[in-house]
Amino acid sequence: MQSEDEAEDEDQEGDDASDNEDVDEFPEIDAVSDSEEESEEEDTDDLDEEDTLDENSDADSDLHIFPKFRKVVSDITGQTKVVYPEIEPDYDSDSSTEDDPNRVGKIPMHWYDDLPHLGYDINGKRVLRPAKGDELDRFLQTVEDPNSWTTAFDQNTQMDKPLSAEELDIIRRLQAGENPDAEYDPYEPTIEWFTGKGKEEVMPLSSAPEPKRRWLPSKWEKQKIMKIVRAIRQGRIVGSKPTAADKKQQFYAIWNEPPSNQAPPLPAPKPKLPTNSESYNPPEEYLPTEEERKLWESTDPEDRERDYLPHKYPALRLVPAYDRFIKQRFNRQLDLYLAPRIQRVKLNVDPNSLLPKLPSPNSLRPFPNYKSLQFMHTKARVRCLSISSDGAWVASGDESGVISLWEVNVGREVKRWSLGSKVGAIEWCPRLDVCFFVAGTEEQLHFFIPPNISPAMLTMTQSTLAPATLPPATQSSIKWISASGAAEDGPVLTIELPSASGLSRQLTWHRKGDYLASVSSSETQGSVWMHQISRRHSQAPFKKIKGAVQMVLFHPTKPHFFVATQRYVRLYNLAEQKLLKTLMPGIKWISSMDVHPSGDHIIVGGYDRKLCWFDLELSEKPYKVLRYHSRAIRSLHFHPTYPLFASSSDDGSIQIFHARVYSDLMTDPLIVPLKILRGHDVQEGLGVLQIKWVIKQPWLVSAGADGSVSLWCS
Amino acid sequence: MGRLKQKGKAGAAKAYVTRSSAVKKLQCSLADFRRLCILKGIFPREPRHKKRANKGSTAPTSFYYAKDIAYLAHEPVLNKLREHKAFAKKISRALGRGEWSIAKNLEDNKPVYRLDHIIKERYPSFIDAVRDIDDALCMIHLFASLPSNPRVSPALIENCARLTAEWQLYVMHTRSLRNVFLSIKGVYYQAEVMDQNVTWLVPYQFPQNIPSDVDVRVMLTFLELYQTLLGFVFFKLYTDAGLVYPPPLDSSKDESGAGVGAFNLRSANPSPATGAPKSDAPKISSKEVRQTIKNITAESSSVPSNDIDIDRVERIDSLLDAAEEEFVPQASKSDLDVPSSLPTLLSLSSSPKPSSTNIFAPYTFWLSRESSRSIFEFLIRSFGGRIGWPVSSGGGSPFAEDDEAITHVIIDRPVAKSDTAQERERRRRRKYVQPQWVVDCINAGKILLEDLYAQGKTLPPHLSPFGERDGAYDPTIGLTNVENSLVEADDALSEGSQEAEDVEMGSELEGDVTSVAALAVAAADDPEALRVAELAAEAAGVDYGTFEKEVQKKQKQQKHKHKEDAVVDGGGEEDMNKILMSKRKRQLYERMKYGEKKRATEHAKLEEKRTKIEKDRRRKARVS
Repeated sequence: MQSEDEAEDEDQEGDDASDNEDVDEFPEIDAVSDSEEESEEEDTDDLDEEDTLDENSDADSDLHIFPKFRKVVSDITGQTKVVYPEIEPDYDSDSSTEDDPNRVGKIPMHWYDDLPHLGYDINGKRVLRPAKGDELDRFLQTVEDPNSWTTAFDQNTQMDKPLSAEELDIIRRLQAGENPDAEYDPYEPTIEWFTGKGKEEVMPLSSAPEPKRRWLPSKWEKQKIMKIVRAIRQGRIVGSKPTAADKKQQFYAIWNEPPSNQAPPLPAPKPKLPTNSESYNPPEEYLPTEEERKLWESTDPEDRERDYLPHKYPALRLVPAYDRFIKQRFNRQLDLYLAPRIQRVKLNVDPNSLLPKLPSPNSLRPFPNYKSLQFMHTKARVRCLSISSDGAWVASGDESGVISLWEVNVGREVKRWSLGSKVGAIEWCPRLDVCFFVAGTEEQLHFFIPPNISPAMLTMTQSTLAPATLPPATQSSIKWISASGAAEDGPVLTIELPSASGLSRQLTWHRKGDYLASVSSSETQGSVWMHQISRRHSQAPFKKIKGAVQMVLFHPTKPHFFVATQRYVRLYNLAEQKLLKTLMPGIKWISSMDVHPSGDHIIVGGYDRKLCWFDLELSEKPYKVLRYHSRAIRSLHFHPTYPLFASSSDDGSIQIFHARVYSDLMTDPLIVPLKILRGHDVQEGLGVLQIKWVIKQPWLVSAGADGSVSLWCS
Repeated sequence: MGRLKQKGKAGAAKAYVTRSSAVKKLQCSLADFRRLCILKGIFPREPRHKKRANKGSTAPTSFYYAKDIAYLAHEPVLNKLREHKAFAKKISRALGRGEWSIAKNLEDNKPVYRLDHIIKERYPSFIDAVRDIDDALCMIHLFASLPSNPRVSPALIENCARLTAEWQLYVMHTRSLRNVFLSIKGVYYQAEVMDQNVTWLVPYQFPQNIPSDVDVRVMLTFLELYQTLLGFVFFKLYTDAGLVYPPPLDSSKDESGAGVGAFNLRSANPSPATGAPKSDAPKISSKEVRQTIKNITAESSSVPSNDIDIDRVERIDSLLDAAEEEFVPQASKSDLDVPSSLPTLLSLSSSPKPSSTNIFAPYTFWLSRESSRSIFEFLIRSFGGRIGWPVSSGGGSPFAEDDEAITHVIIDRPVAKSDTAQERERRRRRKYVQPQWVVDCINAGKILLEDLYAQGKTLPPHLSPFGERDGAYDPTIGLTNVENSLVEADDALSEGSQEAEDVEMGSELEGDVTSVAALAVAAADDPEALRVAELAAEAAGVDYGTFEKEVQKKQKQQKHKHKEDAVVDGGGEEDMNKILMSKRKRQLYERMKYGEKKRATEHAKLEEKRTKIEKDRRRKARVS
């Protein structure tokens, strides 16, 4: 800093510089420089205190790291030049040691570690080691002494010495990344040595003659250039390529040449045109109500019918920006490049024309269409019912073991039997000259004779049930037991099925009324039994049968026997003892089945709500599969004389169909749904359990799980 | 015996490829694949049997035709994309090393692909292209109004704005605009170009921001394609219309915010009368220069430059008419050329036009500052009108507000209270209409009465000119039903009031009325019984009027009931016949029925709302 000042001074004053230099040499006239220094110091470094400054300044004057220089005007050139003081080989070379009291020189100081002194002064006297406090003292000293952070440990004197202002300046410069030399001026004016008027070198540096290449154009360069020139002329080298501005698209008549005969790709479907509701000022009826608005807001954007809510603005200037505009454009683009496109033929047909052309139900009367009377079983659900062959009586049995006999016409109960166990099936004997019915319960079949029948018929019935001549009894697991005595109140005859055969689920008579087939609910092999009344003989027709038997039926005209297992319906020839056909309805599982009176068609209903119509002449696959009930089908029945059939289901409804079968083999049977009868309640998932047609009348009797038996009349 | 068929060698397995395998085959990144698909218009297909197409897997994948992908593999753009990938590597390397000159060199030689061949492939004929510019127009209109950001460069926006102006100029020049619809999303325009309906949607002029869930890269790729497509389409349209493409831009006007007015429409052959051979091309060009100079001078004389051609066409028309010659002043030398250029194809093609495209021709409009100039300048000039606007809506207005010729003022603010004398005078001479009038006139194809649309009035509803689908609710003709029900409602209302009065008078009559009503129910269909009931009513002292009314009411009720019964019966029958349909047919039938029902309920709901609104209105009217 000091030197800078001086340099400035010198710049201004010129020759007085030397005087100034002298002044600096004398310690007596220190006051001037001191004051100067002080002001400088305070400008730059406010932290330093005055007393230390004094010391520093003293030290500074002695401990110059860089030699001072002067600028003098050269006698030769007339320019100013920097003159450094002469270096005296003896002292000036290493003036730093000069004032050092310790004169041991640059030796490893740890040689003196064990000694009480540090070295020797110029006079050969020992320099004693300065007193050194412990760590605490040193710490206290650093705390107390504000200048301790500008001190550094001096090896030679083994004590902390404050750094001089110059040294601090060097440190600052190093930290700032500047040149450590304060005097270094990176922007010194260039000194022109050889240029300018009068400074040219007149004498050549070398006496060698000027070579030719200095003043003749190069032949090789010319050749090279000519090569390029020729290339440019011939067009091999094109001038600078067009820049971005030139690359701007140039449009031309692209469609002038005839198009290729390839078919153009299908154009993307256009978005729908806006409708009235999208108007900024729609008719008021298009505006959503509060609920519609809420519904729209609560639905997901993908599920919304419209992607906007109609809104009415009183003036065009009030219409705001549409906030989903970009999003909707983007969605359109996603549709364009991400969505698979399918070409769909748009059907422009009246949906009603798809309905099959069927005769009107009104033209197909009579069929039952209303409930004419209801008979109630008080206790339990009615599982089964049967109608006598003359069509006057109904026997219905419920799960509490009660069998009621009542008149079809008026619904009056005539007689009631209590069996004490569930009644699973009831069937009247189809013969017209006898009158009795069979009821199936747990492991038993009971034969009942209704009261109030003509004596002739009664004797005939009794003789049928108790034939006079019996073949010798064979060893069988089935016992036929005739009731003794009070025949009025109990079963006339009981067949004991083998034990553990369970509830007899179904009974069916051969059309001649001599054979009776029973199906028990047990899953074991002996669930199907065939009983012959005239011989009081029972036999199991199948040694072994695949699957659990659901139903059996006699063919109405031929000696054939249908057996429905859970998956298949098998048709056996009883006379020849062989399997004729296996029908595959594809139902899971079969619940019911009935044969058309002609014997050529059967219908099969299943728990999976399907009804299959089989034409036995046609195929083993169903001719038609219908699914219309919403619950499992429970019962099916063909009307013996009218072209009707009905199905009942667990949904509590009964569906009546018209089913006309033509004798002509080429004509398909005509099935017309006629009527859905509703009136039974669904209880515990069970609806209408059995339906039966009244013979000779288009009437239907249905037994429901709600304990009622209804008669439906036309 | 034939050769054994191997699995996966034929059929769907061969015809379809999944997207990932397509990307693998093309050896490009997914982003490049997407770009290619967008540019080439290749989209995924839905195979009939997913399982067969995907080697037995049913995982959700998108499939492409294998042939489409094979065709992509030979695409020059794909090569360019690969080159670009290499370029990107090189330039990033150069930038990383700080080799600026190399980087600049690379940047100058950046691989650039052109889409001409793609346009030609995708649209083999011009009609195909015109048919497909709807989306393109929407996009450029959207981007022309976007603020620029790092993704969307100002140059891009400028180009989009230029394209929109060119399109508008073309539509105005050829008078091909047909329908306009002001919707809540923006303004729908429909023009008829080359017998194709072109519909495009322009957002209202507000700053839009690209939402974060929108992939800008996809939009920009589409925009790239659309810009090229529109460039070629416009070139063809302009040249077919005998105009120079691109129309030169007057930059000083553009800076003053003249919008479309900044472009000069210039016909390609300004002096067909010369019939000069090709050899004196310089002469023609010099003439052209003179022509442009003339145009420029004409512009300076306060006539919008782009009007020149339109004006000229008009002039031709008017000369043809010759009877009423409403001539625009500004006689220039170019007029001398006009008669000679009469029988050109241009003039012939421009003359037979439906009259509705000229509906605004006799009028001069002034646009007040709150209505959007970009919309109404386009609309009015497309239909032959002249329009001026205040400086606040941009420069280049052909006349000032105090021009005598102004017939209509399009104004969209409420009526101000204080009027100066001058203002009142103006209001007397001019018609002040709301903007919807212009649009409704255009859609109706004729000038509508201005009174309904006068300033400050509640506007009639603005309906879509595109119509609804067949059988949908029509707000204009649904009135008959509504009227009936309204009459009924009125009757009920009046009856109600009357009854109330009766009750006030004394309740003895009430019982009689109800008993008579009961009789009337029985009497509804039997004339004899009706007679009996009438007598009974007379005996009870009910006057004939009330009796009649009662009977009518009951009859109506009964009819209604019958109808309902019939509906119920019919419904049941149909349901039963459905049993016998095959599954496929039944599903189809059910779908159709579902749609029908949905539409019917929608229709009914709208009608119901309308009845309610009308009722409220009447009640209010009665009260007041």
